[in-house]
Formats: sequence, structure tokens, C-alpha cells
Amino acid sequence: MGRYTIRRLLQLIPVLLGTTFLINYMVWQLPGDPFAGRCGQRPCPDSYVSAMRAQFGLDQPILVQYWQFLKNMLTGNLGVDFNQVPVAAQLGDAWPITIRLALLAVAIEAVIGISAGVLSGLKRGGFIDNVVTISTLFLLSLPVFVTGFLLQWLLGVQLQVITPTVSDEATITELLVPAFVLASLNMAFTARLTRTSIVENRRSDYVRTAIAKGLTNRRVVGVHLLRNSLIPVLTFLGTEVGSLMSGAIITEGIFNIHGIGGLLYRAITGQDYTIVVPIASLLVLVYLVSNLLVDLLYGVLDPRIRYE
Amino acid sequence: MVEVLSEPTGRGSYSGALLEVENLQVEFHTRQGVAKAVNGVTYSVNPGETLAVLGESGSGKSVTAQTIMGILDMPPGKITGGEIRFRGVDILKLSEEQRRRIRGEGISMVFQDALSALNPVFPVGWQIAEMFRIHRGASRSDAKKKAVELMDRVRIPGAKDRVNDFPHQFSGGMRQRIMIAMAIALDPEILIADEPTTALDVTVQAQIMGLLADLQRDSNMGLILITHDLGVVADVADKIAVMYGGRIVETAPVHDLYANPAHPYTRGLLESIPRVDLKGQELYAIKGMPPNLLEMPSGCAFHPRCPYRREDCATAIPPLYPISGNRGSACHYWREVVDGSR
Repeated sequence: MGRYTIRRLLQLIPVLLGTTFLINYMVWQLPGDPFAGRCGQRPCPDSYVSAMRAQFGLDQPILVQYWQFLKNMLTGNLGVDFNQVPVAAQLGDAWPITIRLALLAVAIEAVIGISAGVLSGLKRGGFIDNVVTISTLFLLSLPVFVTGFLLQWLLGVQLQVITPTVSDEATITELLVPAFVLASLNMAFTARLTRTSIVENRRSDYVRTAIAKGLTNRRVVGVHLLRNSLIPVLTFLGTEVGSLMSGAIITEGIFNIHGIGGLLYRAITGQDYTIVVPIASLLVLVYLVSNLLVDLLYGVLDPRIRYE
Repeated sequence: MVEVLSEPTGRGSYSGALLEVENLQVEFHTRQGVAKAVNGVTYSVNPGETLAVLGESGSGKSVTAQTIMGILDMPPGKITGGEIRFRGVDILKLSEEQRRRIRGEGISMVFQDALSALNPVFPVGWQIAEMFRIHRGASRSDAKKKAVELMDRVRIPGAKDRVNDFPHQFSGGMRQRIMIAMAIALDPEILIADEPTTALDVTVQAQIMGLLADLQRDSNMGLILITHDLGVVADVADKIAVMYGGRIVETAPVHDLYANPAHPYTRGLLESIPRVDLKGQELYAIKGMPPNLLEMPSGCAFHPRCPYRREDCATAIPPLYPISGNRGSACHYWREVVDGSR
């Protein structure tokens, strides 16, 4: 497994190079001059535009620019944005908030999704099963921004049990409802996946063996059945961590959370590529690493999978 | 009885048969209708005795075993009548918790396909050790030591090194030995083996049957051997119950049955075994198809396929006629069958 891990890590290098190059290339190919509209009502003077272009290396060929980007990334020097504010400081402020939001969302997905799936799978056709099936269908058919605004309005404005927007500190309590919104789609899918998996494995021979061994029902379900049923579910949860991060843009917008979602959104509308590129690259890295972790975890969960 | 109930695993002083199944009836409720899988099965097993339950698929032999074990899927299955007495106590009337304690301790079971019957994600030693940890409250290390001992006892080479291996790392025969080790872990009084050798090579089949016979001799447990293979039965069984359409159609000591079957179905089964001295001749096969459990033939379930049938076979269900002390045949015309005229 050690050799497999190293091989997989080495495979990450070309993928990272390819994706980051594409991000750089695409971003600088977008129409419109990022500096032309930065002087209020009047067009910017040529001297300003050319000075800015020189500062950010836009007068260089794309390959040189990319080389510069790689050098900066590896040395950790992210430079300043178009307003001359350090990029690293902005990312440093925003990143922990989004991480917190995403982890909270994963926890909600896992705890609520898996419990609901197990309960409904064990009593197929029962009351809980019907509730879970209907509510997950409901969540799956609602876009995230509808769920978000609905909960914000209902809990924040009407019932006033939460503050409608999140403060700069972004405490865990404040992030609970936004994380639920962010998690809602995946949570519904997790519940359905768990349910199917439980239903499928429940009639399996090894569960029958576990009962015949005289194990308690709690142990049959909690150890023998659950361990096997969760393999596909954990794979799904892991691979979705990356998409959760990028999905945070909408949720952060609704609840006014100052995470990377909001930062990215403002940077895109302001055409400030000095922020867009590092964030997009970081998201790629998160996605790749979480996928690798899932693959390694899969080998631990299912001993039949061997990495050699 | 009260004492037995409070201590369901205690080896009592009950003097009757160790396990008695009496007039057991099991149905399956399906969308197409009610399938009567078991229609009044009666048999018994004593310590050290081997009962072979013989029959084709759908005859109800496995369903009976699952009902004894308490692992029948209910629904769709439903026990509609009869008793299963273990040491004189009707276990069908016990609470789920009392039944759970009998499983593994009093009665245990070996399944046909060990690969799917063992949990794929846990080491085999862990799965054997679980018996001691759950039933006896043993510590992890003690339970593991006992698991190695058991793996030695079922003759798995290098047991100590293989205790942490997973089921898929073993061959079919070795996997079945692990199933057996798990089943005999707590020294049960009854072992039910549901087609234990069907999925195995012929040479491995003989080894597994030999192992079961040895273990039984050592511990004096009662063995219920469920099979459709007449060859497997002859060497190890003491008595045979032949099942057809959810009923026992013939029951006899093994040598009597082989020497002189008293039911047309048994006779047909024996005649359909390939024989070297009849090489080149067409192999005998029982005509027709096994009965559809949803639409059982009226009267004797075997009558549409029976070479001995008369008119009343289609109307009167034959009881298990006693032939001699421990023989019985559910055929109105068993005398003709025994005489061998056809």
C-alpha cells in the first residue's frame, strides 16, 4: 500500500500542472480588460493600464506568466491583488471559514444522511422509510439557493431563532444552518444511497450467518451489516468534499459568509484574476487530495481491494 | 421447564430426544399466492446421531432448518403450526433473546456457500473469536487464542499465521472449515449442516464430511445433514428423512433405505444415481418436474410423477405409514414399492 500511495502522489503532479495551466490560460483569455474600468466614470489613462499590466506581468507571453505563477505558488508568495492588498492575507482570512463550513456540512451529511438511510432501510415500507423517502425527494428537487433563502427567511426572519446572516467570526453555531443548506443535496443522496445499500445487504448470507451465530440484533446491524453497507456511502462522501467547497459560493452568498466562496465571487465579477487563480488551483488540490484519501480509505474498508 | 427457560443453554436432564420437530408448517406469502414450503414435518435427533435430510431444491429441507435456527425471513415466511422442542422445550414459544442465546451455544449451523456466508470485511479469526466474545464475554486476546485453537482443530494448516487473513484469501475447502470452526466454537449440542459440500470439489467434499464425522464423534453432538446428494449421505448418516413437496415421504435407517426404499420417490432417486455396471445405458430420471409450491398437486404431491399411482393417489394425502419400528413411508402402496415390482 505504501508504494501505491507514492505512485498515486506522483500521479498528482502532472494533473496539477495541467489543470493549473488551463486555469491560468482560460482566465487571461477572458474578454475585457481588467484595468480599463477601474477609474470610476472616466476611462483609465493608458499610463495606468500599462503600469498595471507590467506589474502583473500581463505583457509577458502566457508561458512566462505561468512559470511566474508556479514559482510564486511554490515559494508561497501570492503577491497583491489589483487593489494592492496582499492575496495571502485575504485567503488566510477566508479559507478557515470555508473549511469550517465544509467540514460541518460533511458531518451533517454523514450523521443525518447515514442515520436516516439506516433507519429507513431496516424497516422498508415503514413510517420512517416513507418520511425519509419523501423528504429526501423534496430536498433533491430543490435548488440550494431556494433551500437557503427559505430557511433564512423562515428561521432567521419569521421565527428569529437564528441571525439571518453570519458575523465575521463565523462561529460553529452561526454556521449550522448554512452548513445544513450546503449539505442538503448530498445529505439526501447519502440517505438514499445508505438505504439502498442496507436493503441490499440485509438479506445477504453473511448477515444470516451473524444472526445464526447468536449475536444480538444491535451487533448484527451495527457491526456486520453497517460495516459493509457504508463502503459505497463513504466513497461518495469523500469524493463530494471537493464539490462541497466550490458549492459553498452560493451558500456563502446567501448567508453573507466571508469565506472563499464570497471572495471568489467578488474576484470574478471584479475580474481580479490574482485571486481567482490561486483559489481555483487550491480547489483543484482539495479535490485531488480528497479523492486520493477516498481511494486509500476504500482499501482499508474493503480488504478485497488490493493495491499492488 | 421453568429451570430450562431461565438457563436456555444449560445441558439439562431431559430424557427425550435432543431435538424434536413435530408437525412443523411454514408458509411463504408471496404476491402470487401462498407457498406451503413445509407441511407437517416431523423428525428428531439424539446426541451423537446423524440425521440426513434428503430432497431436491424446494422440498422444504432448508426452510425446516432455518426455522429451527430461527433465521427464517419473516415476512414473507410464516410458521403456521407445529413445535420445535429442544431438550423438551418448544423454542418457537421462547422470547427472541432466549432464542438468540440458543443459537451458537445449543444449535448452530454451517451454510452452503462459505464465501458469501462469511463476512468479507473481517478477518476469519475475528469472526470465530466473536463467538467467545459475545456469548462468553471473553477478552480479545483470549478469544483470538481460542480461534487459533479451533482453526487447528478443523485442520487449517498454519492456523496461527492465517488467523488475521480475510475469507477471500482462503480456498473453498478452507473457508468451509472456517465456517465449521465458527459453528462448533461453543460446543453446540446440535449442528445443522445445510449442503456443506455442495460448492466444493469431490475430494474436498470427502475431507469436509470426514471432518464433520470426527468432530461429531469427539463431542457427541447431534448432526442434521441437509443434502441432495445421496452419495454424501451413505457413509455418515444414521437415519434418513426424504422430503418432497414440504413433507417427509420416507424415513428410515440409512442401510434399510438404500437396501430397500419404501417410497417411489426414494426409489427413483436411488435409480437415478449413475452406476458403473450400467455404463452405456440411458441414465434413469424421474419423469416430470418438482411440484410448484404455489399449486401443489392434490392428494399425494408426488402422484403426477409416480409410476405406482392409482386413482386415489390424486385425492387422498398419504400419512407417514409405519412400516417397522423406525421406518415410515408416505405412500398408500408402499408394500408394492418395497416388493420392488413396477
